[in-house]
Amino acid sequence: MYSKKLLRLRVVLSALLVLGMLLTACQSPATPTTAPEGKPEAAPTEAVKEPVDEPEPPEQAEVEEEPAAPPATDPETPITKYNEAPSLKELVEKGELPPVEERLPENPLVIPVVDGIGKYGGTWRRGFLGPSDYNSYVRVVYDGLVRFSPDGGSIVPRLLESWEANDDYTVWTLYLRKGAKWSDGHPFTADDILFWYEDVLLNTDLTPTVPKWMQNKDGTPAVVSKVDDYTVTWTYNESNTTLMMELANQDGGDKNYAVFLPAHYLKQLHAKYADPDELAQLVKEGGFQTWGELFATRKNPAENPDRPVMAAWKPVTRVSDDVLVLERNPYFVGVDPEGNQLPYIDRIEFKFFQDTQALNLAAIAGELDLQERHIIMGNYPVFKENEMAGKYRVITWPTFGGSDAIIAFNQTYVKDPLVGDLLRNRDFRVALSYAIDREEIKEAVFLGLGEARQPVPAPWHPYYPGDDVAYKFTEFNQDLANQMLDSIGLTERDAEGFRMKDGKQFSIEISVVPNFANWPDVAQMVAANWQEVGIRTIVQVRERAVHFEMRDANEIVTELWNEDTTGFPFTGAPKFDPRTQPGLGIAPLVRQWLNSGGKEGMEPTPEMARIVEIIDRGKTVGEEEQIELAKELFTLYVDQCYEIGTVGLTPLVQGVVVANNDLKNIPLTLGNDWPLRTPGNANPEQFFFDR
Amino acid sequence: MTRFIIQRLLLIPVLLLIFSVMVFALVQAPPGDFLTSYIATLASTGSSLDQETIAMLERQFGLDQPVHIQYLRWMGRLLQGDLGLSLEYQRPNAELIAERLGLTVTLALSAFVFTWIVAIPLGIYSATHRNTILDYLTTVLNYIGVATPNFMLALILMWWAYSRFGVSITGLFSREFEQAPWSLAKVIDLAKHIWLPMIVLGIAGTARLTRVMRANLLDELNKPYMISGRARGLSEWQLVMKYPVRLAINPLISTIGWYLPELFSGSLIVATVMNLQNIGPLLLRSLINQDMYLAGGILLIYCFLAIIGTLISDLLLAWLDPRIRMEKS
Repeated sequence: MYSKKLLRLRVVLSALLVLGMLLTACQSPATPTTAPEGKPEAAPTEAVKEPVDEPEPPEQAEVEEEPAAPPATDPETPITKYNEAPSLKELVEKGELPPVEERLPENPLVIPVVDGIGKYGGTWRRGFLGPSDYNSYVRVVYDGLVRFSPDGGSIVPRLLESWEANDDYTVWTLYLRKGAKWSDGHPFTADDILFWYEDVLLNTDLTPTVPKWMQNKDGTPAVVSKVDDYTVTWTYNESNTTLMMELANQDGGDKNYAVFLPAHYLKQLHAKYADPDELAQLVKEGGFQTWGELFATRKNPAENPDRPVMAAWKPVTRVSDDVLVLERNPYFVGVDPEGNQLPYIDRIEFKFFQDTQALNLAAIAGELDLQERHIIMGNYPVFKENEMAGKYRVITWPTFGGSDAIIAFNQTYVKDPLVGDLLRNRDFRVALSYAIDREEIKEAVFLGLGEARQPVPAPWHPYYPGDDVAYKFTEFNQDLANQMLDSIGLTERDAEGFRMKDGKQFSIEISVVPNFANWPDVAQMVAANWQEVGIRTIVQVRERAVHFEMRDANEIVTELWNEDTTGFPFTGAPKFDPRTQPGLGIAPLVRQWLNSGGKEGMEPTPEMARIVEIIDRGKTVGEEEQIELAKELFTLYVDQCYEIGTVGLTPLVQGVVVANNDLKNIPLTLGNDWPLRTPGNANPEQFFFDR
Repeated sequence: MTRFIIQRLLLIPVLLLIFSVMVFALVQAPPGDFLTSYIATLASTGSSLDQETIAMLERQFGLDQPVHIQYLRWMGRLLQGDLGLSLEYQRPNAELIAERLGLTVTLALSAFVFTWIVAIPLGIYSATHRNTILDYLTTVLNYIGVATPNFMLALILMWWAYSRFGVSITGLFSREFEQAPWSLAKVIDLAKHIWLPMIVLGIAGTARLTRVMRANLLDELNKPYMISGRARGLSEWQLVMKYPVRLAINPLISTIGWYLPELFSGSLIVATVMNLQNIGPLLLRSLINQDMYLAGGILLIYCFLAIIGTLISDLLLAWLDPRIRMEKS
């Protein structure tokens, strides 16, 4: 009886698969092209953060066309009257909450709307995968001093009203929104930033090492000081042009410390301010060993609902509960262009799923209102098929440039000198790039979405080095590959027809982690292509932690990963910077060499040294030179072929968006990347349910 | 008998100490630690941590200490009755376990009761009506029941319920009751949801138990005392229930003790597949993430219950079977 049912299930499943394929085949020409075509209009010409003297109007192509969305400072349409959610109005009438005018700052943040002015109410249902998935929360609230714009090309004001730098970019002055308040009603001032600086960043119990972006060249920390209650300055010894981009990411992501913390609340948990006995008691009750552990945990809003926030929603349960519930923050600083206090949506519920497939099933059933995180791209056909039944629509937000599956060659591999020498031979790497049939990978693994490309920024990004670089060595030409391999002396073949070097057999290993469902498939296809040109190739599917350890131990030969940091060469931890750790296994020994000042490890080649130099220089120069440097960087990187891209601009990384038909104001194109905190950069505050 | 029990009880701390070292070593055995797996998780969702953040987290999680220090710290707290702090949840392990204990036990008990209520009568029927159509049918069903992995069964049922009725049957509560405090309505909601995991969890056990019961009973049914019983005019029902069933059930009783740790751990894979909030997924998750204190804590309790369970089995057998009781004295 069961076996019969199983048989039927298999029939159903295979039918589904065929249907899915057909569907994809029909869809494929449309989907990949919409995004690149839609984007260029939004192409930011001012991608690099220039110091501004006035509040910068939030820039987004669709929004600018919207007449009803003027920037806050536009004198022609000043907002005279503010409105608020019905639930809050009730509380105000009861006298439990001050009126909306008193809750908002003097000059509220005006958040542009995508389609139109929304309605209040509703619960946004989402899924997440438990406490380790803390960033699910971070990305939705995107609670930073400033934010990346929806297209990812610029920085827009948020808690900061404006900012400016001096002529040589060594001193930055930040102006806070006057009258802004924490979710408990307490004023938000410069002291909240100074608390972070003096008592968290410079406290070695909490911050063992000052992060790179806060360091001067000599390793000393940059100086943050208070001018008045609403003005703060950042002073570096050298020029720094990336501060605002860094600040757009200092929002508590990865459970890090945000640069602004509710001092009035957190002081009771800090050894410097708290009563020692009471603190010891709290540490013990929480099951912690030190006050630092207690502080590090309690400062996370989603682990401690008592902790006030500046975000549009504040947690009322914890990330370790079955449902993480967020409710509207009555003191949120943002309004829509008509003066309605945001957010529109009352509540967000993150339901805990034990595994990704269960979450996908719930999304297919229409039980999640807007979900892109943990949606598996391979399920795309199934999602499309169930669109009607699930009452949702599927949108794609392709990755922010780069390539969604790359092969990185370890430039400092020494375990097997024969293989190591080959990996360091540029012709060998280029030949292997030519040997890959990227169109086949695209069709078979990426459902025909995206394009064959090298790991460079997206075409609509100012750092894009041009088509000749993006498509360099990506044509499928095994004759050329064979020629090149012959020319570097790999002419001898063994009994099985594989090439030998100096009469010795060798093999190239591709280490791959089953991270995004289909990576091992890509690795297999690449391996098959390489075998065709006579290179014996072995695919090793490894567990993540093992793979990571091998990277650090310099044991990786080649690895398959993704390159998603091309939009941010001068901030964060770019993967093509050999110093990045954990980064790709491109050159672990070079990292050692650079970090030890040349005492250990392996000296970088002139090209690699130039890459490091460009990245450092980019942090200190103005916008135009940054663009030039970035282009040079990617041209050099692709030319050296340390890393070869296969297919990019697909919605592989959380880019398949399942959205409830009733949910409005969701942008159709959006920069999608971790530094952008997608979907946070889409301004979820202005999403609303039209019911 | 009392001496035997005391001996066994005295052995528990020694065993637990040995287990604690083993458990800790096993949880630590995979390469890397909690932080490596945490970083890997972040990497797979697009985040990229820098070295400074990693250093900060290492400090926060106490992972900058050597392994033996970590063990001693854990042990030191265990001796004070403190299960420590979960690295992933950043909450006391005891709290996490306690939260899920009620549902875990409810689910396991109901599966247990289901198993016994179905398996024992079915086994008796099968044995006494050997080679009838119903016996064959039971046998076939039993084989299928034993042979189907229960997580597979769960997946099939989930798919079937979804494709047939369009309902998702994961979890133990409807969405509106998930965060609600306990009330009559919530209990009713639980009852509505619990039967499916109960069947899924119980089905393999039921099948196995029925087979064992049938085989044991068949051994007894041909014994001379049966003939003599019949000759004395005992009714068939009375005869079967009073003698062979009591004997046949012995081996089953000896497995009751094993059930104790299972009650606690929940079924790892089924619970994960069906999104049940019991201890099983918590354990699985802590093992995958190398959340060593949580995994260690759960496994240690598991070992403790296994020891207690065996003891209870022994006592039950002694109580039920005079032969064992006599031997002892």
